[in-house]
Amino acid sequence: MQQLLRIFIVLLLCATPTAVQAKVNVFACEPEWAALAKEVGGAKVKTFAATHAKQDPHYIRARPSLIAKIRRADLVICSGSGLEIGWLPILLQKAKLGVQPGAIGYLMATNIVPILEKPAVVDRSMGDVHPEGNPHVHLNPNNILLVAKELSIRLASIDTPNAGFYQRQLSSFNTQWQQNIKTWESNASVLKGKTVVVHHRAFSYLLNWLGMNAVASLEPKPGIPPTTSHLEGLLQQLKASPADIIIRTPYEPSGASKWLSEKTGTPNLVLPYTIGGDAESRNLFTLFNRSVNLLKGTNHD
Amino acid sequence: MLKAKLAASAALITIFSSTSVLAADEDIKALRAEVQNMKQAYEKRIAELESKINKIEKEKSLAKSVAPILATPATARRDVKNNSFNPSIGVILNAQYNAFSSDTGDIAGFAVGHEGERPRENFSVDHTELNFSANIDDKFFGSTTAAIAQHEGETEVELEEAFIMTLPGAGLPDGISIKAGRAFWTLGYLNEHHSHTDDFADRPLPYRVFLNEAFNDDGAEISYVLPTDLYLAIGGGLFSGNDFPFGENSGSDIGAWSAFARVGGDISHDQSWRLGGYMLSGEANGSRFSNEDTVSFTGDTNIYAADLRYTLAPTGNARNQEILLQAEYFWRDEKGIYEDTNAATGPVNFDNSSSGWYTQAIYKFDQQWRVGARYSQLDASNVPAGLVGSALDSGGHNPKAYSAMLDWANSEFSRVRLQYNREELSHGQNDNQIMLQYIMSLGAHGAHKY
Repeated sequence: MQQLLRIFIVLLLCATPTAVQAKVNVFACEPEWAALAKEVGGAKVKTFAATHAKQDPHYIRARPSLIAKIRRADLVICSGSGLEIGWLPILLQKAKLGVQPGAIGYLMATNIVPILEKPAVVDRSMGDVHPEGNPHVHLNPNNILLVAKELSIRLASIDTPNAGFYQRQLSSFNTQWQQNIKTWESNASVLKGKTVVVHHRAFSYLLNWLGMNAVASLEPKPGIPPTTSHLEGLLQQLKASPADIIIRTPYEPSGASKWLSEKTGTPNLVLPYTIGGDAESRNLFTLFNRSVNLLKGTNHD
Repeated sequence: MLKAKLAASAALITIFSSTSVLAADEDIKALRAEVQNMKQAYEKRIAELESKINKIEKEKSLAKSVAPILATPATARRDVKNNSFNPSIGVILNAQYNAFSSDTGDIAGFAVGHEGERPRENFSVDHTELNFSANIDDKFFGSTTAAIAQHEGETEVELEEAFIMTLPGAGLPDGISIKAGRAFWTLGYLNEHHSHTDDFADRPLPYRVFLNEAFNDDGAEISYVLPTDLYLAIGGGLFSGNDFPFGENSGSDIGAWSAFARVGGDISHDQSWRLGGYMLSGEANGSRFSNEDTVSFTGDTNIYAADLRYTLAPTGNARNQEILLQAEYFWRDEKGIYEDTNAATGPVNFDNSSSGWYTQAIYKFDQQWRVGARYSQLDASNVPAGLVGSALDSGGHNPKAYSAMLDWANSEFSRVRLQYNREELSHGQNDNQIMLQYIMSLGAHGAHKY
């Protein structure tokens, strides 16, 4: 017993932080927010992404490593609106006061940007709908800009000595990003009005931005995996009025979209969805480049 | 504005002074110097005022950026604490159909509490739960769970949990939290979890005999998550000592205490693990009654436990495929007096130990389907001569149970499960069991605990 106690004490001593961390610890729930924190925070922040592109960010466990990371976070940046509802609240119970809801270090993108698909009536028979609306906001580049601005203000007030730095980082990101938006928009102008079948409503903001229309989803209800009867119905629907593309995220199973693609001859496409979604999508710029190019690649008329 | 006025007046003064032909050169010089001084002084003031205005404006814009979050009414959005209702309300509808091949389900060599007994045959809606939880204010979180269960033909409401927990706003040092009231305390893996989140329809043997399903005494627990990269948490608790494995503590003495340490982390991107060591110690001052009140124990009990959990998402996405491995080991040391009134043993001095463990594997092979297997085993103590032939005499038999299950979840909120058990809990008592269960949750979104 005494031996155990000794080990405890040694562990405790080892664990005491030796020096004040100069960098701002940023805990990002999704890789896109980690990437944004890197753009705005540069070398002054240390970012950690709780999920990767192959994971569905809704179905994450509050695993020990995440508790250890959030425990030391100075800023938590997530999509919000219930996307992380199964795990973020548990993690936050172990986090600092400065990152609790309402605090300066608690940044939910869905609180900053205009929200799509906010249901008027919510009932779980409609599937796992989020009463706050669709939380997958990062695929509209204008939203990225809004969140970037907010993030730089938050970083500046957490790390006041470097406030000027964050301001400069933001303005250079801002200029660059806006130029890119113009390029993407002119590149993607041919996509306007195209019809799309999605797996889950993960691309609503992208489609909305590009003026494309989601005509159906492979999931019968959000969060409910595709069923044969639903797919059969979709097949009839697409036969009557064909769609242009079927898209899904890298983390969604391929079966349903491949099946429908084969039956209807509609091209099916995996879009990167977030950073690391494919080899090319290494940062926010390449993510949007790649997404627009992939969508255009299917456009042969 | 201010600047322009000043500049004008300074210019006027300069004009007047320069037009005064009679004035001596020195006077002019002195005047000029004075004007210069005034100008400088005012310019300094202006600069100060300007910086003040800038600062106020900056603060205003910062406040604006934060204010909308705070100003959004609670009813307009469900924030991440799951408070679309205040408090959030959850109901677990849990029903089971059980069929057993053996008439009896005695566990040889162990004093078993009511909850640890074999469940009822046929249909039952035991473990229907009602949960309310919410942040009480900026400092406390509160939660209460009542289970509605059937016991000997009567419907009972059982208070499973009723606790408060400090939030990070409570002002305790970072990483420390205190939980008080009645709760499923930190002990092994399953104890903290409500049974509806279990991967099997029944608890494994060690939980049934050592904890009467779960330890949820009244008390308080403190825990500390260390500020390390590797997850390290330590803690301990003090309890009244009224819940199994203790019993009937009276007076103001603390009846039981606990200590624990946990360590965990990730291996690459898709694997994660947690290992824990636990101790629970206390006494049954009055008596702990078991086996339908025929067996009593008075004395000290120490429980040492260890748990290991490992998860692997083979494709990276745990939603599509996942493997969960879990094992727990319990060792119990008892020192006191046992009495079995059925066997008319009279009070018998007892000082011995027993142990038990289980291991289980779950494979989620599809978004909705999972299969699982579990093995549990107990090693009973050797009994003193006075207890030979009593319920505590295992007759050299080590109880064991094999389980296999298949479950299907339509969404995160509903699950249907089929389970087969083969229990060999007493000599010659081979029990084949079929359990069919549904677990549905309505209201609050469940937590994805590790």
